[in-house]
Amino acid sequence: MNTVTRKRIEILADAPLLPRLVDELQASGVTGYTVLSALSGAGATGRWSDDGLTGTAKLVVMAITSADHAADLVDRLAPLLDSHRLLLTLSDVEVVRGDRF
Amino acid sequence: MIFDTLTSPIILFFALGMFAGFVRSDLVIPEAFAKGMAIYLMAAIGLKGGVEVSRSGITDALLLAGAAGVALSFLLPLPAFAALRGFGRLGRTDAAAVAAHYGSVSLVTFITANEMLNGAGLPAAGFMVAVLALMETPAIVSGLLLARGGPRDSGAAPRGLWHEVLLNASVVLLVGAFVIGLIAGEKGFAPIRPVFDGGYKGVLCLFLLDMGLIAARRLRETRALTARLALLAIGLPLVNGLIGTVLGTALGLDPGTAAMLGVLASSASYIAVPAAMRLALPEADPGIYLAMSLGITFPFNVVVNIALIASVARMIG
Repeated sequence: MNTVTRKRIEILADAPLLPRLVDELQASGVTGYTVLSALSGAGATGRWSDDGLTGTAKLVVMAITSADHAADLVDRLAPLLDSHRLLLTLSDVEVVRGDRF
Repeated sequence: MIFDTLTSPIILFFALGMFAGFVRSDLVIPEAFAKGMAIYLMAAIGLKGGVEVSRSGITDALLLAGAAGVALSFLLPLPAFAALRGFGRLGRTDAAAVAAHYGSVSLVTFITANEMLNGAGLPAAGFMVAVLALMETPAIVSGLLLARGGPRDSGAAPRGLWHEVLLNASVVLLVGAFVIGLIAGEKGFAPIRPVFDGGYKGVLCLFLLDMGLIAARRLRETRALTARLALLAIGLPLVNGLIGTVLGTALGLDPGTAAMLGVLASSASYIAVPAAMRLALPEADPGIYLAMSLGITFPFNVVVNIALIASVARMIG
């Protein structure tokens, strides 16, 4: 089966920032994405968990897109990583229907 | 009065929650159930406030308390900001974000105080629900102005901020239920009273159990809290509560209502303002403002300060 390589983007962010992230995704030409909820974890600022109350829940935005769109998105998000406490990773993935991403 | 407070089931359940949180018990209140209880409590308190205003009408006291509440919410962040910058040694952005929390209000503290004041024979007027809703937002504006160093360099608020602030779930439900109570009046409320009155205190116990768990876990997980900030998290509600109570009494409010204005002034937000700050001041550390408002100020208010404020209101009223 023929597969092609695409970029898989994962962004861990505080839930209230989701609208902002969606704006940036769309501005960089990423048309599809999936939002996953995150339960708890630990990082530079200590442990966190979703208490369902204080709006400190975190979520993961996952998207698969072309290398060009991914590079554009990284340029847009790079200045926000520290100030908005985002975690951004990119990885190569193989997809079957390359024309979709 | 302080001893009575400490032995009421509401406070004891809260203490149990904090205990379970500190000893890392696996006790968890399911999130959906906690949300359901919050919806029930907000609807009940909104309805009861609305019904009471439908009986009393729009009075001078209501307008005065509303104006005082808005003014307090705007102005209380200013001295708080100075204290957080100076004594607390916080940077401008963090201090502004924390100050916004201390100008705004805590719904759960209000609900708890309402029960405790009723129990102490100092009932607050029903319209204080409306004052609570009015006090939620002005502090956010003050906090943003403080962070930006004044109104000159304002810049655009991030997308979705005002939608989040003005139409968040608790404001819509609380104000909505208040208006429903206002329209329905005593007669319309009578058939639904058993649901919203009968189970109210019991649900509040379970809800505070959950709040105790959340507050203790927040305190346990924090790394950002210094001894100076912990002191401020107790000092600010003491001073703000006194200011609110004295102002309410000076305006001629009855002791219960003046005490409630004091409770609102002393309480710090941990639901609406954190969400607004994550949008508007993302650089501010949520670990600081949540540890202070939810981890220290909220338990301090519930266990100690509400009773103190009630005693002051009774003394000067």
